[in-house]
Amino acid sequence: MAMDEAKKTDLLHKLAQGVTEFDDDAVREAAEEWVATGEDTYDAIFDGLVAGMEEVGRLFSAQEYFVPEMLMAADSLYIGLDIMKPHMIQRDTGVKGTVVIGTVQGDVHDIGKNIVKMMFDVAGFNVFDLGRDVPLEEFLKKQLETNSDIVCLSAMMTTTMMGMPKVIAMIKEKNPNCKILIGGAPITDDVAVKFGADGTARDASNALEEAVKMIVALKNIQKEAMAKAGK
Amino acid sequence: MMAESAMTTYELFGYECVVMPFDLCLEAEIMGCKMNPYADSSELLYPTIKEKSKPTTEQLRAMARDPELTNKGRLPLMREALKIVRAKLGNQVAVGTYVLGPFTLGGQVSELEHLLKNAFKKPDEMLEYLDAMADVIIRIGGHLMESGYDYISVREMGATTDVLSPRVFKKIIAPALTKVAKGLKGPRILHICGQVGPIIADMAACGYDALSIDSKTDMKAAREAVGPGVVILGNFNPFAVLNTGDAKQAYDAIAQCVRSGVNGVHPGCDIWPTAKPENIEAMMRAVRETSAA
Repeated sequence: MAMDEAKKTDLLHKLAQGVTEFDDDAVREAAEEWVATGEDTYDAIFDGLVAGMEEVGRLFSAQEYFVPEMLMAADSLYIGLDIMKPHMIQRDTGVKGTVVIGTVQGDVHDIGKNIVKMMFDVAGFNVFDLGRDVPLEEFLKKQLETNSDIVCLSAMMTTTMMGMPKVIAMIKEKNPNCKILIGGAPITDDVAVKFGADGTARDASNALEEAVKMIVALKNIQKEAMAKAGK
Repeated sequence: MMAESAMTTYELFGYECVVMPFDLCLEAEIMGCKMNPYADSSELLYPTIKEKSKPTTEQLRAMARDPELTNKGRLPLMREALKIVRAKLGNQVAVGTYVLGPFTLGGQVSELEHLLKNAFKKPDEMLEYLDAMADVIIRIGGHLMESGYDYISVREMGATTDVLSPRVFKKIIAPALTKVAKGLKGPRILHICGQVGPIIADMAACGYDALSIDSKTDMKAAREAVGPGVVILGNFNPFAVLNTGDAKQAYDAIAQCVRSGVNGVHPGCDIWPTAKPENIEAMMRAVRETSAA
């Protein structure tokens, strides 16, 4: 059963708005309705859920939303994602991969890390979440075990971020091609460069914004790849 | 050992206070949490809580009434350490201590994510929970002050506007902070780091003797918001000033801090153990010379 455009637009709007207003029930209903049509859920995830999260990022930057609002929106997004992900047609476009993510030892703050993890989940990455307060060697161990494309390190405190260059050096020595992204309140672009990281999102708001940007960029790459494949 | 180390800031550099303890787990341990001191790690790490006791509001109320509370965890050690300091330094120097604020302590003993969501979803439950947490803090902080500490900071860094909206601060966080201020005797400082510009007037209304802020808040704007009558301590960035820069930069940064209108030069966060001695000397010199000028 195909979905007409009007219904599609309506459901996308409900999904996005449901995430932005952390209305779990609205997201659940819209997601179930979409799945019932038998249609691929790719657009629903990206143009619905992620679009809603994009708006949350904007509201966060504008200081209309704060961390609690962001966490509640994330819960709503996961409700939709859990329903719709099994119905997404797998796309073999080369843009996917494995990520190892965690908060470094001595630091038990993991909210920013979880937000970034969410965006990797959305994008279809295979995510290995080591959690918080992770001994530095664990990152290397997991990277070698999974041969992940990306390692993400998070630290909320100036003092715990000092563990990051050690992890980066350990991983780059064994596997120079692995991309390492670092983030957290004390991380600046300068720090990222100094530590030898491949990229950063400066703080919780930036983490979301950067992660959304990254997802949108990925999606564009996927679209291009699909367009090429179609030719 | 804690007492000996704490005294070195005064003995080596003339820094006018001795502060104990060194970590943020004192109350959480008293409340039944397990601390990880990272004894086997070669990294320089502050202890964190590895097992949270997750007390309910009722359990917090019971804790606050428990006559044995003041003999739990490291409270006896805190009394002992103070005696050692007094025996050596007498009243030459102020001996300070600190407790966490109700919301931040809540994040130590329970899941922070849960509290953050509840601050929004179940404000009445949160008000009750933080009110009960305030009772526990008053017992612990009050006991420290009765033991003879000269001043106490209430560190509520979890409630910065980097995390919570000014609206939630005013409605949910401020009532418990006000209760703590009322319940503690002696000089009390309220410390919140991160951006607190939008809530500094609400912080001032909580009834503390002084406010402490960090470098993310603009001192001039803060002063304008609360007027000349409120004591503000702040707000240099200790890691940047004392650990990464050189002595000249440290001197200039502190002189700038004095001129910005603080009532006392105060680090916005902990002074990290790898601070350069020459930078600390420069800081002390800058405070004396600039304040005298």
